[in-house]
Amino acid sequence: MESNKQVPVTVLTGFLGAGKTTLLNRILTEQHGKKYAVIVNEFGEQGIDNDLVVDADEEVFEMNNGCICCTVRGDLIRILSGLMKRADKLDAIIVETTGLADPAPVAQTFFVDQDVADRTKLDAIVTVADAVHLSSQLTDHHEAEEQIAFADVVLLNKIDLVKESGLETVKERIRKINPFAKIINTTKCGVSLNEILNLDAFSLKRVLEVEPDFLESDHDHEHDDDVTSLSFVSDTPLDMEKFQDWFSKLLQTKGQDILRTKGILDFTGESDRYVFQGVHMLMDASPMGKWPEGKVRSSRLVFIGRNLENMNLKEGFENCKSA
Amino acid sequence: MKADLNKFTELNKTKFENRGKELRLGIPVINSVVIGNSIAVGFGDGTIRIFKAGQSSEPIKAHNGIVLCISKDGDDIITGGDDGRFLRISLNGEISEIANFGSRWVDHVTANNGSLVCTSGNNVYLWMAGRKEPKILEHESTIGGVAFDSKGRRLAVSRYGGVTLWKKDYSNKWKSSNLLWKGSHNKVIFSPDDRYLVTSMQENQLHFWRLKDKTDSTMSGYGAKVKSFAFVHDTKFLVTSGSNDAVCWPFDGIGPEGRQPICLPFVGNKLVTFVEPFPNENAIFTGLSDGSVFLSEIEKSSNTIIIRSFTESEVTTISVTEDGSSILIGDMAGNILWTSIWDEENK
Repeated sequence: MESNKQVPVTVLTGFLGAGKTTLLNRILTEQHGKKYAVIVNEFGEQGIDNDLVVDADEEVFEMNNGCICCTVRGDLIRILSGLMKRADKLDAIIVETTGLADPAPVAQTFFVDQDVADRTKLDAIVTVADAVHLSSQLTDHHEAEEQIAFADVVLLNKIDLVKESGLETVKERIRKINPFAKIINTTKCGVSLNEILNLDAFSLKRVLEVEPDFLESDHDHEHDDDVTSLSFVSDTPLDMEKFQDWFSKLLQTKGQDILRTKGILDFTGESDRYVFQGVHMLMDASPMGKWPEGKVRSSRLVFIGRNLENMNLKEGFENCKSA
Repeated sequence: MKADLNKFTELNKTKFENRGKELRLGIPVINSVVIGNSIAVGFGDGTIRIFKAGQSSEPIKAHNGIVLCISKDGDDIITGGDDGRFLRISLNGEISEIANFGSRWVDHVTANNGSLVCTSGNNVYLWMAGRKEPKILEHESTIGGVAFDSKGRRLAVSRYGGVTLWKKDYSNKWKSSNLLWKGSHNKVIFSPDDRYLVTSMQENQLHFWRLKDKTDSTMSGYGAKVKSFAFVHDTKFLVTSGSNDAVCWPFDGIGPEGRQPICLPFVGNKLVTFVEPFPNENAIFTGLSDGSVFLSEIEKSSNTIIIRSFTESEVTTISVTEDGSSILIGDMAGNILWTSIWDEENK
């Protein structure tokens, strides 16, 4: 039924001055005939050219479920629930966050609140980064790291203002934090809108496309609390019970440091592929059909977070292999 | 062979549907309010409609976006919208603007005993009788709901972390105290005897405080958020949505703590989305996620009759006129049923 269709929500993050509002106005002016709602924070610096602009407070709530990292954006629950009662149906919703916002509560809202999950879906987190200043921002502000870590797309903006070598350095830094984000070079946020809208990046189907490029995990980052990523692959089937034990315990105890996870799992005795993705301790998981014929069945697992090297991830994963 | 679906649904209509007026508006029904024997309904396109016995209801354009909330002040309707306006609307449809907050939504409105309240963001705006300018009561987080007690001397404001209880002293000054419980609190109501305060939470549960000694407790076990709850007239029960049953908590005597609720089941395992007490009866109307509505007595082996058959859209409001003669049902897809409750011969 048409009225039950989930409205896609795109989250725009990025530091002040990176170009979020420029991008927002480009989306709104170029998508003729589409009805958008834009949720902005009250500190937005420029005017936004849209009929439906809603002021938000970026109110982060802790859920009363005993999990300290399970935070949601209370204002988003209220606003999205309100918008879904409109008589005219929206084509999409765009949420702009303040420069210092942690994207986790925004993403978690779509996992935790049933009304929000029923009527809307998180399409993608798009992070606009200033090619000139990103490196220093990553050093000085953990929020900048989180915005890169959570990104499905990083729009590396203002590339006309940096030398080519500088550009490579900053890209290297982004890839070290998040090797799965698509990096798009732009000046003045000039990007084809189909590269940032309707990506369905949080659907489990998209997890199947994850092809970690297995960067050898290097330990040369400067601080222990730098965000890094680790990925694992195994052609030996996993034991479902062992995996569930290990993984649920891991998320329960280290969920605060684990920002994003994705995985495709091959369990002994199961003909289906199991796919999951998570934000901190919250997880969306499901069997996703049979393994394609003629292809090697293998489990792939990806972590983005802090202090990953202290979690014995490799050992834990190895122990899940069926004997 | 193709079944004639229209014919099928016609045949399966209840007597209440057959004798009532049905509207298929295609506009989400937000909520409704009873004023005497009239019922005012707010819609997701900013209009309201006023239903009176024997009269047709024309849409009245009130807000530019959504009617977010609707309540009453005496014989007037009061509404708040996502256009930032707080409106007073007479039963004749005359609109006057009480306040305008621009791009800030007006999330909740209420009134009692000459005091008028709306909320926007973290603030309560309180107009005392005869005053032109509102008093602003500030809170640390967005307000989830507001309610006056029966006399209008206390105002409960639910928010993140609990309820702020504002009390008017005899020099007409408002002073606050806090009822704390971790988590985000949404709708809040007083029991009709003012002894209890109940909130629904972001988690699938309710919380209540007994006001004389501020003891509190949680009512949990729900499969979904509890969006609709109300006390039946003599405070014997708190009836609640959020489960496949209408869950009725006993609030007589010692209150609900340590006692089991009465659960009224319905066929088909649909979620209860709206509950509304039948005035002056120990009975409730229950609306489900498929649009069907039932009338049940609150008893362990309850008699249940079907009022409206399914529409495939969740019931978002049920209102019964003060004299208990007529009922209005609305759902998310904009289907309205406005019908008499009693058969001609039983009137």
